[in-house]
Amino acid sequence: MILINIDSLSTVELQHIAEQEGVDAWQDMDREELIDALEDAFGEQDDEPAQTIKGKINRNRYCNSLTSYRGKAYQVNGLPGTESLPECYHDTSIHLLLRDPQWAFAYWSLSHQVLEECVDEDGNELGRFFLRVSQCSSGASEVSSYDIDIDISDRQWNINLPEMGYCYHVDLCWRDRRGEEQSLAQSNTVEIAAPYWKHATEPFDGSLDQFCTHFSSLVTREGEIVDNAILRDVAHTLSKGVL
Amino acid sequence: MSRAHLSFILNAHLPFVRHPEYPRFLEEDWLFESISESYLPLLRMCNRLADDKVPYTFTVSLSPSLCTMLADPILAERYTQYLERHIELGEKEVARCKIEQPAFSDMAAFYLEAARTNFTDFVEHYKSNILEGFKDLEERGYLELVTTAATHAFLPLYKEYPSAINAQVEIGVQSFLTTFGHLPKGFWLPECGYYPGLEEVLRSHGISWFQTASQAMLLSPDKVANGVYRPVHCPNGVAAFPRDFNGTSLVWSNESGYPTDKIYREFYRDIGYDLPLGYIGPYIHEPQVRVFTGFKYWAITGKTDQKVPYDRIRAKKRTVEHARNFIYTLQKRADSLGPKLEEEPLFTLAFDAELFGHWWFEGVQWLEEVIRLIAAGDKGLAMTTPSRFLEREGERLQQVQPSFSSWGHGGYNAVWLDGANSWSYRHIHKAIERMEELASRFGDQMSLKQRFLNQAAREVLLAMASDWPFMMYNKSSAEYATKRVNDHLSNFNVVYSNMCKNAVNTEWLVKAEKRNTIFADIDYNIFNPER
Repeated sequence: MILINIDSLSTVELQHIAEQEGVDAWQDMDREELIDALEDAFGEQDDEPAQTIKGKINRNRYCNSLTSYRGKAYQVNGLPGTESLPECYHDTSIHLLLRDPQWAFAYWSLSHQVLEECVDEDGNELGRFFLRVSQCSSGASEVSSYDIDIDISDRQWNINLPEMGYCYHVDLCWRDRRGEEQSLAQSNTVEIAAPYWKHATEPFDGSLDQFCTHFSSLVTREGEIVDNAILRDVAHTLSKGVL
Repeated sequence: MSRAHLSFILNAHLPFVRHPEYPRFLEEDWLFESISESYLPLLRMCNRLADDKVPYTFTVSLSPSLCTMLADPILAERYTQYLERHIELGEKEVARCKIEQPAFSDMAAFYLEAARTNFTDFVEHYKSNILEGFKDLEERGYLELVTTAATHAFLPLYKEYPSAINAQVEIGVQSFLTTFGHLPKGFWLPECGYYPGLEEVLRSHGISWFQTASQAMLLSPDKVANGVYRPVHCPNGVAAFPRDFNGTSLVWSNESGYPTDKIYREFYRDIGYDLPLGYIGPYIHEPQVRVFTGFKYWAITGKTDQKVPYDRIRAKKRTVEHARNFIYTLQKRADSLGPKLEEEPLFTLAFDAELFGHWWFEGVQWLEEVIRLIAAGDKGLAMTTPSRFLEREGERLQQVQPSFSSWGHGGYNAVWLDGANSWSYRHIHKAIERMEELASRFGDQMSLKQRFLNQAAREVLLAMASDWPFMMYNKSSAEYATKRVNDHLSNFNVVYSNMCKNAVNTEWLVKAEKRNTIFADIDYNIFNPER
């Protein structure tokens, strides 16, 4: 194992690690000797599984304490070795996040290989990317689907989910100039359960009391219904337009 | 008169903000303001009620990130300095107002006294750790303390990553155990964010109940019998307590809630912005960054710049009126519900704790008055906590599958998945996937590698905090929030890239451990999907 910038550690920290590693006579070593000893120790560890040194240290879950070897006056001016985040990652994948029962957010990435294959030497696209949104019943059988054309530079899209009570997933697809289609990646599935009252044939059994029981809690004293579009639809339907 | 139960749940949470690398750091004031204006006043209220032998009980959720900050010696020392500056400013304000603005003299003296009281309570009574105050009140039976997700992550947006959901819940529970010495029974769902199936993770960690948004009941796929007026059992037996939207909106509505009364104190007029820099300079941030000082002298008055001076006596009378109105409204609803429900109703009233005192200056007075009125016993209302309610009525709850929901705008995920913040999920999800990969490839490491991987796990969890996407959405401190997400993810990538080449960047590790000192006992193996 390589130890990067181990010489930036304080002597107390080096002693602490040496003690943890079971380095003999670490108390008698000066700074340089500690660094040499640790580099030797960690170099040897590369070839042996971690389990072999397990017995040396009393390792309990939730008991790995941080060291407290520097005074609080120490100031850190930015952490070393960090880099900016990439714009996206170079694997081909697509993810679907539920925003509300009517909208989801999809983001995706494309590998270098896929990107190279879909353009010619002059950079002209050899086909088109598109998203295929599939609506499935709870038994996973596909009910319907629709496509969204996307540009090669697109990496995210808001996806409309037409109906509650179904599952949805999105395929990131490619259609070449001959019209042949290929799914490059499929997203996770999101499920939108339909509220009982959305399709109840006998709303609240016709009982005003029961209606009040539910809606008295969801309305402010000024008559404003809780901020939820589905709930407003349900309330409007069940109250026959009163709410 | 019908009998009804009332359960207040206060969620005390702040994101982990700790920057010892700077002499003073602006966002650390979030913690200091919350301690001064909400947490200490709430503790004083609780102890006053107890001293007066007023029977009461309610629930407080203390987030692990807040608990970490409240127990941190560096932040405690900085808070003490913050109080010293406030006492000094208070003394100057008393002298200044006496000559220049006599109408504000009463409030200047009040703020000076409040700063001195906070100093005495914090330093002498609580020995710089107010968690002891909450612990004491729980031990005496007044509070039920519960936990929440490790960094208050908005869980529905991590549903596809069971290891991350589990890590948020497990570390939330374990941090609570470390802090308070016992396991929590309840779990505050951050932002009331719920998705069907989340209860399985909660149950696996011994949680008995959680709270939900109001619409989780009416939008359930099941036929709910009692609206939000009774908790329900999820299919796996964990109880869900739906928030009473009507009751909470009496307080929380931006348009018509009690805190909008024109007599109450105006939050946004503060001498940090109003007085000359030459005077206020030492009490704001360098270089001349105006901030709230907490010294506010004006009443809301109305939608005008021409404010009238705040009158503390009038405002106190109004809190009594509002407390009576609150009790009256709940009682009327209880009476109305009585014949319709088969069981006694429960009003679950969930709020952010910082609403009381910090955002709504008179909020603590109002809450105390509400509690005293209930305790007077002639209103047919009884205070309870979810756990006590379950002990009493847990056998008689309907089984219902709550619906996907949150308490945010629109009732779902839109606040935390918006044009301003959606960019972050690509990176956070990737970090979780890579953390899972690291935990699988390098399981049970020791010493430096273990510390390196533990720090990676901390960075992933810190990036997941619900506060960052909320701030981006809300355009408040959005730059800081964006920087924090970027920093945590960049930090994580240091570990990932180094581990992939079998290296440990020790310099980074030591500094990162020093900076993000949260979850001291974390074990990165928690992210191993095979666990």
